Amino acid sequence: MQTGQAEPLFRMEGISKRYGGVTALEDASLTLRAGRIHALLGENGAGKSTLIKVMSGVVAPDEGRMIFDGRDVSFASPAAANDAGIVCIFQELSLIPDLSVADNIIVSDPPMRFGMIDRATQRKLAEDALARAGASDIHPSALVKDLPLSRRQMVEIAKALARKPRILILDEATSALTAADVKKVIDVLKRLRDEGLALLYISHRMHEIAELADDCTVFRNGNYVATYKAGTKTDDEVVELMIGREYNHVFPPKPVRQVDQPPVLECQGLGWIGRLRDISFAVRPGEVVGLGGLDGQGQRELLLALFGVLRGTTGEVKVDGKPEMISSPSKARGAKCGMALIPEDRKTEGLMLPMTVRENLSFAALDRVSNAFGIIDTAKENALIDEMVKLLAIRTAGVDIPVGALSGGNQQKVVIAKWLMRQPRIILLNDPTRGIDVGTKQEIYQLLRRLADDGAAIIFYSTDYDELIGCCDRVLVLYDGEVKRELAGDEINVHNLIASALNISTAEAAARVGGRA
Amino acid sequence: MTDMTSVRFVDRMPKFMRRLDPAVTTAFACILLLLIVGSFYSTSFLSPEYLLQQLKVASFLGVIATGMMLVVLMGQIDLSVPWVVSTGAMMACAAAAYGPIGAALAIPFGVLCGVLIGLVSGFGVAYLRIPSMIVTLATNAVAQGLMVVYTGGFSPQDSATPAMRWLATGALIPAVPNAVVVWALIGAAMVFILTRTTFGRSVYAIGNRERAAYLSGIDTRRVVLIAFAVAGGLSAFGGVLLAGYASKAAQSMGDAYLLPAIAAVVLGGTSILGGRGSYLGTVAGVILITLLQSILSVMQMPEAGRQITYGIVIVAMLLLYGRTPASRG
Repeated sequence: MQTGQAEPLFRMEGISKRYGGVTALEDASLTLRAGRIHALLGENGAGKSTLIKVMSGVVAPDEGRMIFDGRDVSFASPAAANDAGIVCIFQELSLIPDLSVADNIIVSDPPMRFGMIDRATQRKLAEDALARAGASDIHPSALVKDLPLSRRQMVEIAKALARKPRILILDEATSALTAADVKKVIDVLKRLRDEGLALLYISHRMHEIAELADDCTVFRNGNYVATYKAGTKTDDEVVELMIGREYNHVFPPKPVRQVDQPPVLECQGLGWIGRLRDISFAVRPGEVVGLGGLDGQGQRELLLALFGVLRGTTGEVKVDGKPEMISSPSKARGAKCGMALIPEDRKTEGLMLPMTVRENLSFAALDRVSNAFGIIDTAKENALIDEMVKLLAIRTAGVDIPVGALSGGNQQKVVIAKWLMRQPRIILLNDPTRGIDVGTKQEIYQLLRRLADDGAAIIFYSTDYDELIGCCDRVLVLYDGEVKRELAGDEINVHNLIASALNISTAEAAARVGGRA
Repeated sequence: MTDMTSVRFVDRMPKFMRRLDPAVTTAFACILLLLIVGSFYSTSFLSPEYLLQQLKVASFLGVIATGMMLVVLMGQIDLSVPWVVSTGAMMACAAAAYGPIGAALAIPFGVLCGVLIGLVSGFGVAYLRIPSMIVTLATNAVAQGLMVVYTGGFSPQDSATPAMRWLATGALIPAVPNAVVVWALIGAAMVFILTRTTFGRSVYAIGNRERAAYLSGIDTRRVVLIAFAVAGGLSAFGGVLLAGYASKAAQSMGDAYLLPAIAAVVLGGTSILGGRGSYLGTVAGVILITLLQSILSVMQMPEAGRQITYGIVIVAMLLLYGRTPASRG
């Protein structure tokens, strides 16, 4: 084992990366040493993913330099980074299900003999890699598709080890694993550290980080914040480091809630194949309920389940106090439920980009502007479209140009407008302000509050904590498919949101913040 | 305000002026070119009689291509055309053998058979999620098998009813063949359906982004099912007209219509990936294909050479069109 004082194995300095107008990383730095496990912390959009993409050659940084083993390096592709000794295990599995374990492990550079793959050597290499990954019980010639998910993750690690890495990056690599498997992985990672590898570990599970990490680095808003030795800071201090966005939004005032109205939507014990677990809540007319938590904790699935998109959900959904089987979006939007879903990705789920603004705007409400034979009443359609274009101030050169020609913010307005045409009573929004300009964001906040004041019940998922704080009357924080905490009123603050998103107990923190306020 | 009035004005303009699709103009330019080339070979090429005759021949393909277009607009394809055409023709003629009632029901019965085959294909595509290329190949094979069982493998002896003959060869309006009128009516109906009904909008939406259409609350599976049923019905109706034209049905009479139908739709500017295309383009494509076939026969090229040239020209044209990037995001 090398000492921590030696020259660092890998260093990056002043790394910046912008996507269009959005800055994902700004002047970021990171130092990795051989024989140590380094944890990377930060909330949604803090820049963690971009950082490892830069490290592993997936994207090229706009500025900055990387020093590996004392030499300046730049990677043109993930393969180049692999060759240099930086290997990344991503959250999504990269295995090919119909190939054998050995084929998967040695997929990129199989041993050759007489121009053919040398099966015997390949199998030997695969066995070695599996043994190093602590999974020698997996047979090299088993098909990957026959293995359970947790075993596949071990194959994934073996595959990374077969590339002889000097730096191993694990991006949420344990999120699919059961507790017993996590224990195994942790043991393996510790052994790899002792063998002299540098490990970069990204996870939202704080207890794993506490058990594994030697060093921790916190990122926030694409900026480097701090590096500290593991165990030198309390959970509360870590949360404080992660807090600190700039407030540049103006939110409409929240009215005093009337609690007397019966809930319009109730949800009891909602579940879906382990991704959603026992979710219960109720929403009243006029309420804006936020969904919080880190990315991918089941918020999207919850909205899709409510809207009837997912098959095989369990539990009960009540609308106006009556149980409803919402089995498809067409049922969800029907008169009984009156739901609307502003989907996550407007380009593939919200809009038909090549079609005109008109066709997109009226599409979800065509049944409202047509007769029993489905013949569209053009006058009625035009009147509604004009009304919506005015109401939402959609800036377009006309309603007969392709909607793809509009700016992102105006496209999002079209998605919202197309649902407002149906005058929905329950509005589900899946991160509606992502990738749009600040001005349009403000307009959307105002609109949401106005819709709520008019009696709509709104469920609002956002990856931006400021929005949850500014817009919502209540926030349900999801963790691993479960509602871990419900925040209301003054409890909705950054500290509580981040702490509960990481599922760390901050009873004392809440008290402190409450006392301070 | 001026902005809004200009929008209104644009609304009032016919669709083909509003979006002058370059593919459609190219198709019409090619038609002109073919007419000019043809006139070098035969002076009668530009005579009204010849052109009307061409239009009549084109109308059979036109009816079939109308159904094909509907399916292609959704990003699917219907390869069951050959035997759905034959089934429509044979079943209509078969019904004609059952006295006056049979004769009266011959046309609807033939079309109904096509609709049924289309429903099976549509069910496979929409609900079983099998690629349309596979399903329609299978239904085509099944239809062929059923027809071979029914006819015993020989040309059926039943002949077309007078109504079928009148539809295909008569002329209600002097000098204008009824088949052309039938195509015009079906075409007008299709234009109306595509532009003015929720069903038409849904077809385009599914072709562009099925997921977005589904999440908008459209029952996309039902739309796909209906579209395939309509396409099957139109193919069968094309077969009924052909039977009327030839006075009787024949084995594999539909074989010559699959490639031309697809080619006509695509040459007319409908994206093979779905979501984009106008009926006017399909009309141009149908006429273009028919003229091309006619010119090749006027040039007195031997059959083998004709087939080769025909294939090469279609591939060349498709390549030319395929280069224009579709406006998908």
